[in-house]
Amino acid sequence: MSNETPVWRFKYLPKKLDDISGRSEIITRLKEMIKKRNFPHLLFVGSEGIGKTLIAQLFSKEFLGRFYDANFKIVFADEPLSSEERDQARSEAYVSTSKIGSMAGKRITTPAFIQVRVKPFVQLRAIGDVPYKILVVKNFEALGSDQQGFRRLMEIYGSNCRMILITTKISGIIDPIVSRCQLFLIPQIKYEDFSTLIEDIANKESLQLENGVIEYLYKISEGKIAKAIDLLQICSVTGNTIDLNKLYKILKKYENQEIKDLLIKSLKGDFSEIRDCFREILSNYKYSVQDLFIQFTEILNKLPLSKYAKIKLINMIADADFRAIDGRDDDIQISYLLARLNSFAQNM
Amino acid sequence: MSEQKQSKTPWVEKYRPKTLKEMALPSAKLNRQKVDLAEELKEFVKNFFKKLFNKEFVKGVLLQGQPGIGKTSIVYALANDLNMEVIETNASDTRTKGAIEARLKETSKSKGIMDFITEKKKKLILIDEVDGIYGTKDRGAIPAIMDLIKTTQFPIIMCANEYKSSLSPIYNIIPKYEVHPLSKNKIINIVENIIEKENITNISKEETDLIIEKNGGDLRGVINDLQAISRVSVKKGEDNKDMIYSLHRDTTEEIFGLLRDLFQKVSSLNEARRLTDKSDVDYNFLYKWVNENIPSFIYSKKELATAYERLSMADVIFGRIRKNMEWSLLPYFFDLFAGGVALAARSGGSKGYRPIHFPRYSSSYYMSLNNAEKGLIEKIQEHYPISQNEAFRDLIPFLKHLTSTSRRKLKEISEFLELASVEKKLLK
Repeated sequence: MSNETPVWRFKYLPKKLDDISGRSEIITRLKEMIKKRNFPHLLFVGSEGIGKTLIAQLFSKEFLGRFYDANFKIVFADEPLSSEERDQARSEAYVSTSKIGSMAGKRITTPAFIQVRVKPFVQLRAIGDVPYKILVVKNFEALGSDQQGFRRLMEIYGSNCRMILITTKISGIIDPIVSRCQLFLIPQIKYEDFSTLIEDIANKESLQLENGVIEYLYKISEGKIAKAIDLLQICSVTGNTIDLNKLYKILKKYENQEIKDLLIKSLKGDFSEIRDCFREILSNYKYSVQDLFIQFTEILNKLPLSKYAKIKLINMIADADFRAIDGRDDDIQISYLLARLNSFAQNM
Repeated sequence: MSEQKQSKTPWVEKYRPKTLKEMALPSAKLNRQKVDLAEELKEFVKNFFKKLFNKEFVKGVLLQGQPGIGKTSIVYALANDLNMEVIETNASDTRTKGAIEARLKETSKSKGIMDFITEKKKKLILIDEVDGIYGTKDRGAIPAIMDLIKTTQFPIIMCANEYKSSLSPIYNIIPKYEVHPLSKNKIINIVENIIEKENITNISKEETDLIIEKNGGDLRGVINDLQAISRVSVKKGEDNKDMIYSLHRDTTEEIFGLLRDLFQKVSSLNEARRLTDKSDVDYNFLYKWVNENIPSFIYSKKELATAYERLSMADVIFGRIRKNMEWSLLPYFFDLFAGGVALAARSGGSKGYRPIHFPRYSSSYYMSLNNAEKGLIEKIQEHYPISQNEAFRDLIPFLKHLTSTSRRKLKEISEFLELASVEKKLLK
């Protein structure tokens, strides 16, 4: 018992491509590639949390077999470089004048992300009896203009390393990259597959699901299977029977209230407190400015305000978001928005 | 007479702790775990002589931390405690391959058979300021040190201020302790002790606080400043503040004065311009300082909104300047973030003393992780493919929720992920 996985979403994580439910079409295509021992660069597109990365990882695992560990790497494009990595990029960016060659004394302008995270991996030869290494880049759209740097990489090192790029927004990816990849559109899981999966878990965990629970779970999880499993587990803590009432209650408690509180506070509280509050939320959840502003807009739509007030507030959020794109310091732009909301509410 | 003699020894040397016991020990981390630095070093040196012929044993350690927090002192205090002799080389020596070998290699090997018998003073090798090894001047120094670590007969302790990629071969083979600055309370205790012993009467409590704040954890800097100020005889009624500000070691104190002037004295755009023109504070930082301190000086909600509107515009302009090299926009940037913000307080701004805060938050701060968070994420990623951001927004709140249901769940999860106690705390 003691080595049982305590978190269900880890426990029910598929271990093979065949275990993934409701994706038979994509799986057949991928399996065909494994059989032929060949595949082009791939681009996976689909909404958040539906299992794109999982598919990429399991595919690589089966493609590379026992050489998986040595030839597989996953990088997250939206993770900022750590200070050590930045130091490394900076120190490698300058070729010393004491070196021989035309590059001596020059700066290398490769983007730091590619220099530190990607190049060292793709430049090394594939190890063992495999045709290529596999590099998975998650949230590829977050690279922004650094995507340009990938164009040549994909061509030069393509014969050594194939890439699987994963993104939620295909519009964020530049055309030259899209044209170099085979596109996989990964849709949300279908209701029938979802309900079989959930029923299966319920059986294994001996849960009693009342009518309508699965349908409701399907609706609120928006295709994120992990979220549905999380909710099931939390519900199961207080007993094995789960009905809609319980699910509502848990969901209400479980939903992230902090941003809503922040927005409401910013409409009446003291500015220094508001600032401390948003800084805490941002460092706890690692939200980017854009994430925060989007959530503000969503919450604002649900608040009981007049339509005139709402449109004014949304205008303010839009203005701050717009400035944050060009600005350099997010803290200033968020402070700006909150100070404006604060002052607006006073005059309301 | 005695006074003259007294002022000749720098206090930094005079009050350098002789033993570990009398030393204010800085906290330190090894591989992200908090450790007791003094104990670790003691263990290392003691083990060294026991395991000298054990090939697995690593014969050196590296201490890394900002200047003036006690890295060198702890080594000397340790040597004193263990009755050892310190052989030191620092950035003032030339450290080419030859020089290092000449100076250290022979000492490091010169443990003759007689030494075992007579129990002569053992030696401790201190390579201070390793990160000062540099370029062509010190060519071959790093391989020489690597070689030294392998062959030495005496323990080696190295000190460095910052990460240097040229030192990475060294980082790879020896443990690296990150030494953190002393807490303010510890520094205050030491300073009070010195003030009492030196009979200093012309420095007020407020001024010592200022000195400490401005040095930001650098104890050596604090003591040096203290000595400098104590020598000045001050007329009654004047205070030492300007004096303290004038002891430039960095620009922090200049920023303090500048911000106070900006928010409290400036009444026209021209004055604000003059202020920013004559200051040589880097504007990259200055506008972040302004951001941090707006709420200290401006209270009215309306004025706050105006001030931030101008600051945010300044930030946008600065972004465009940096992105497209539109330097012609720079005057607007200055006018907006300095004069524009300060003049937003139309009611005249706040009077009297206001605390100035350091800008601790920047955009990268939110996204970057502390060590406990990093550890937690890495351990989760071993079991589950998830990105940092998803983990923080989605998985960790869920785990927190789950662990809040029972203590047993917390235990199960942390055992499953093999969490250290700091990482476990994040899930509570």
